[in-house]
Amino acid sequence: MSDRIAGLLIAAIALVYGIVAGGYEQGFGDPLGPAAFPRIVAVPLGLFALVLVVRPDAEPAWPRARVLLRQLNALLVLVLYALLLEDLGFPLATFLAVTLLARELGARWRASLLTGIGLGAGLWTLFDPILGLPLPLGLLAW
Amino acid sequence: MDTLNALFYGFGVALQPLHLALGFFGAFIGTLVGALPGIGPVNGVAILIPLAFSLQLSPTAALILLSSVYYGTMYGGRISSILLNIPGDEPAVMTTLDGYPMARSGRAASALAVSGVASFVGGTLATVGLTLFAPILARAAIHFGPAEYFALYVLAFATIGGITGANPAKTLLAAMIGLAIGTVGLDPATGIPRFTFDSYHLYDGVDFIVAIVGLFAISEFLIFLERPAGTHQPRVEIGSMRGAYRDVRRSFGAMLRNSVVGFIAGVLPGAGASLGSFLAYVFERRISNRNDTFGKGDPRGVAAPEAGNNAAAGGALVPMLTLGVPGSGTTAVMLAMLITLNITPGPLLFEKQAELVWGLIAALYLANVVLVILNLPLVGIFTRLLALPYWLLMPIVVMASFVGVYSISHSPFDLYMMIGFGVFGYVLRKLEISLVPVVLGLLLGEAMEFNLRRALSISNGDWTYLVSSPIANTIYVATAVLLAIAVAMALRRERTPH
Repeated sequence: MSDRIAGLLIAAIALVYGIVAGGYEQGFGDPLGPAAFPRIVAVPLGLFALVLVVRPDAEPAWPRARVLLRQLNALLVLVLYALLLEDLGFPLATFLAVTLLARELGARWRASLLTGIGLGAGLWTLFDPILGLPLPLGLLAW
Repeated sequence: MDTLNALFYGFGVALQPLHLALGFFGAFIGTLVGALPGIGPVNGVAILIPLAFSLQLSPTAALILLSSVYYGTMYGGRISSILLNIPGDEPAVMTTLDGYPMARSGRAASALAVSGVASFVGGTLATVGLTLFAPILARAAIHFGPAEYFALYVLAFATIGGITGANPAKTLLAAMIGLAIGTVGLDPATGIPRFTFDSYHLYDGVDFIVAIVGLFAISEFLIFLERPAGTHQPRVEIGSMRGAYRDVRRSFGAMLRNSVVGFIAGVLPGAGASLGSFLAYVFERRISNRNDTFGKGDPRGVAAPEAGNNAAAGGALVPMLTLGVPGSGTTAVMLAMLITLNITPGPLLFEKQAELVWGLIAALYLANVVLVILNLPLVGIFTRLLALPYWLLMPIVVMASFVGVYSISHSPFDLYMMIGFGVFGYVLRKLEISLVPVVLGLLLGEAMEFNLRRALSISNGDWTYLVSSPIANTIYVATAVLLAIAVAMALRRERTPH
């Protein structure tokens, strides 16, 4: 079933992709132009996607609700990390993200906090002053 | 003699202190990445690319670092295969078959010794093969025109993963997905924005590095979260070295034979090191399993796949350097880095970038020596690191990905993009759609389109130009044959339920 859904979805994308590509203007002295290659790609893209619809493999083992929740939590942490990295600064954002991720991976609170502090400070020290990659300090820069 | 001179020059490059240090560091990290189940060679290399890039390493230095990591993962994978019966990475799967039974019967030290020596033999012979064959292939490929290159890309897509991949339709679909993603951005020939949704972030196209780190490292983290929380490996003892010398001597023939098998598997565009170790094990079992000792702790069953996967890693570098067509997932990722650094691998590399090519080759000889020391007398370091808890390791991997990607462009947009590719990669993996062809499509798409358009402008729009050269046609025939084999194997597998 998953294969069928994915196949239909990709086939639909291939169709739109091919139609959008058709709108690109032909260049001068370039017999193929910018439209041709995407259109050539769209055909097998759609066809192979339809193969999945017609001949799907066995259903993959999708995660159960509890595992899915862990994955969504972790993703939320990552997105928030990207969102807050520049405002909070690398050390603080990393401390928060690592603490929550370690907790999600099964560490106790104490160990999680220590890991967060260690990596927040340690990675910043390693990358910024030692390796010379400038990282944002955010709130800590005053 | 030319080659010998060039190699001599290469050692001069490789022995520069920075290159030596990077090689050593790469070998260590590679062994560790290989040994830890859950972080494979592609991930190890993918995470280090942005760092190499933002530390402004020269292309030579960056390539030495990544190749040392690649060679290192081939050594490291065996450690957890033998001690824990959990392959540290995919190429080490076959090593569990005889490695773990050896460990169970108290011969873990011997199994590690045999596989360490086998890795060294395979890695070194493959580097010799690279030294000898790469310049020859590069000279031949100088005559390739747009039609030949287009054919070569078709071959690469049709065959990558096709021989071992479960479902050929999915592999080909993956390649098309990669090609489609690769067309996003300004069209290089006309400057027309394609599929950018009017977002200026997408004008430069999808950054290879961002996509690769997301597809591999972030999706791996999501896969990892499926394991029950708090699992970590028990501490294991290696035991005594008794009988190791005899086992190494007995399996030396197997090492030599399967280095050749692995090297050939590596050169072919395909599944790279995993295919190398698989073919080597099957080959060795066929010729040596007279007393039915394989699968019960035969040292030759450990030597064969380890020589095979290390040799395949070296072999996979041959088409990557000479043709710009990678022979494995990891070399595809290395190609991404070279393209990003404005180095276009291909036949001209050997003439114009002698420092890079020969410095790399010489560095690989040195890396093998470092690796055999790390992996034989010092293997205890890694068995101890295996017991590190994952709640410490995984956040380090994730944070390294973020730092690396962020420091390329200092743009949170790239971080979201990386997370998005992570989720996409996770779904593809769940559906058993291989990620390597996606990356290959993304990487080679632009060159493929460029060569197609150039071919047709040379011929004034005559499509038969593509099939007018004997070299190109030979490549198309080879493609058809390999595809037919892949489909036949997939059908046979379907009919025999396991």
